[in-house]
Amino acid sequence: MNVFFIGLTNGAVYGLVALGYTLVYGILQLINFAHGDVFALSGLVAFSVLSGKFLGITSDDSMVIIIGALLLCLILTMPLFAVGNALIELVAYRRLRTAPRLAPLITAVGVSFIVQNVGLAVYDVEFYGATELLPRSNAIEIGSFAYQWNKLIVLLIVVPLLVSLTWFVRSTRQGKAMRATAQDKDASAMMGINVNRTISVTFALAGALAAAAGLLFLLQFNMRYDTGFQLGLFAFTAAVLGGIGNLSGAVLGATIIGLIEAFNEGLRWGHPLDGAWFFPDVGAPSDWTRAVIFGILIAILVFRPEGLLGERTAEGT
Amino acid sequence: MSEQTPPPERAAESPAPQPETQAPPQQQRANGGRDGVILEVTDIHTYYGSIHALKGISLQVREGEIVTLIGANGAGKSTTLRSINGLNNPRKGRIVFQGKDITNDPAHSIVKMGISQSPEGRRLFPHMSVLENLEMGAFQRTDRQNFKEDLDRVYALFPRLAERKTQRAGTLSGGEQQMVAMGRALMARPKLVMLDEPSMGLAPIFVERIFEIVKEINQQGTPILLVEQNAMMALDVAHRGYVMETGHIALTDDAKALAKNEQVQKAYLGMD
Ligand SMILES: Nc1ncnc2c1ncn2[C@@H]1O[C@H](COP(=O)(O)OP(=O)(O)OP(=O)(O)O)[C@@H](O)[C@H]1O
Ligand SMILES: [Mg+2]
Repeated sequence: MNVFFIGLTNGAVYGLVALGYTLVYGILQLINFAHGDVFALSGLVAFSVLSGKFLGITSDDSMVIIIGALLLCLILTMPLFAVGNALIELVAYRRLRTAPRLAPLITAVGVSFIVQNVGLAVYDVEFYGATELLPRSNAIEIGSFAYQWNKLIVLLIVVPLLVSLTWFVRSTRQGKAMRATAQDKDASAMMGINVNRTISVTFALAGALAAAAGLLFLLQFNMRYDTGFQLGLFAFTAAVLGGIGNLSGAVLGATIIGLIEAFNEGLRWGHPLDGAWFFPDVGAPSDWTRAVIFGILIAILVFRPEGLLGERTAEGT
Repeated sequence: MSEQTPPPERAAESPAPQPETQAPPQQQRANGGRDGVILEVTDIHTYYGSIHALKGISLQVREGEIVTLIGANGAGKSTTLRSINGLNNPRKGRIVFQGKDITNDPAHSIVKMGISQSPEGRRLFPHMSVLENLEMGAFQRTDRQNFKEDLDRVYALFPRLAERKTQRAGTLSGGEQQMVAMGRALMARPKLVMLDEPSMGLAPIFVERIFEIVKEINQQGTPILLVEQNAMMALDVAHRGYVMETGHIALTDDAKALAKNEQVQKAYLGMD
């Protein structure tokens, strides 16, 4: 049972990042490789905000202060990375909008390295974490079912974010503009939609969600400048699994990936080859998580490229 | 073949304003330029990368008129509309709408000024319902209270759309999609509507209906710039016409005269 909740928690963090991939893909058909690195950098910035000279929060402070500090941190980092991500689009992708698809893709890889290098330059190669900040004591305990504070905070932040995102995309004028722009940019412009601004808003949303994910990750694990690479690929796999461009799909895919990872690492089951005479030591299950998850990515791309919730549509529509 | 009936005016040779041969029905308040000219395109040059698609197009639309733009495939009719609506701003020349220079304005602000359109190939939002598509047509408007009124007007023109309002646009038939595209253009409460091949791919019975509706929209007071392959029908409903050939205007005259013109008959009306 606890393994299940670990999976759910990790899945929620992947989900926030996966939404960023899927939002951007939905509107530009661009796989924004830099997104994982934006996430990692946001986590490091969140560390700076929480620790040391700035807020100087420690686990000795009361729960109210800690949670207040976390919210304050989000109020700072989410807009910061929203603007940052929108700037990335403006500088790196906008002029390539009508270029062949390979051009922005290569640019995205380039931006990924740049963002990573900014992280490296500022934070060096050390790992940072705030894993001790929230108590590991149980927040909810019913029989054998236990849910710890440091996991609960994730759901407390992710659920309202998902609800507001859904409301934004479904019901606001800007959300309608986003959906229309994702379907047909020229037609949207003919309706009076400012397509450039709509794309900026989309990148800003993706950046803000990544910043929230960065903080939540920091509360669970140690991270450094290149953490975004692997996590980004996991989140991307989640987005593809759910059907890239589909918001609910990204959350569903991320939950599945989180659960797969947790069960793979948590249940300590023997791998079928473990101890076999011809291959005596295959290592711990966690060594295999990546292989399993990328195996899934390949399987989806081969057998169901539109993902679980995606629709079969012709390329480019 | 000897001498012809009076040759139509050659646009390139006579930049002087047209004599008012056949005044359109409602020549009311001059809403902008002189002679009720609402849209004035002057010598525009538009490119796709290095492809020189429009090589000096000039045309006018006046209050109350239906003006048609006919010509062979690839002549530049759609490009002319894309130059006016801001999707492909011309590199040279001038476009003035209601007395304001809109030559280099972006597409979304041109809609706000009052030009809407039904584009070539319809370009609906396939994952949205019919009603949502119509709502998108009114996206830039702030007067929400008139929305219902305009929706009723569109449903009155196209009763089929009222029946299908919850259906996803991508699953409609071609003719129904065309109705949505035209309805969506009207939802903007435009001061000028541009229709790019509204009859394309439709059954003959639908084609007739579409042209009736074009007339009806015009009689309700909206000037129309109509691009058509079906030159016969287009010249039948229009007041004036322009004939395009590879990036320039070859001929212009009032619609009745163009329909009688031998060159036009040979090239576009399939007559000998
Ligand atoms: N996106 C584009 N890129 C490059 N060239 C283009 C593009 N769109 C149109 N053209 C070229 O510009 C010229 C004019 O095209 P346009 O679509 O305006 O013609 P049209 O008169 O509307 O033709 P049709 O009747 O077939 O719709 C053509 O030679 C066409 O090949
Ligand atoms: Mg065309």
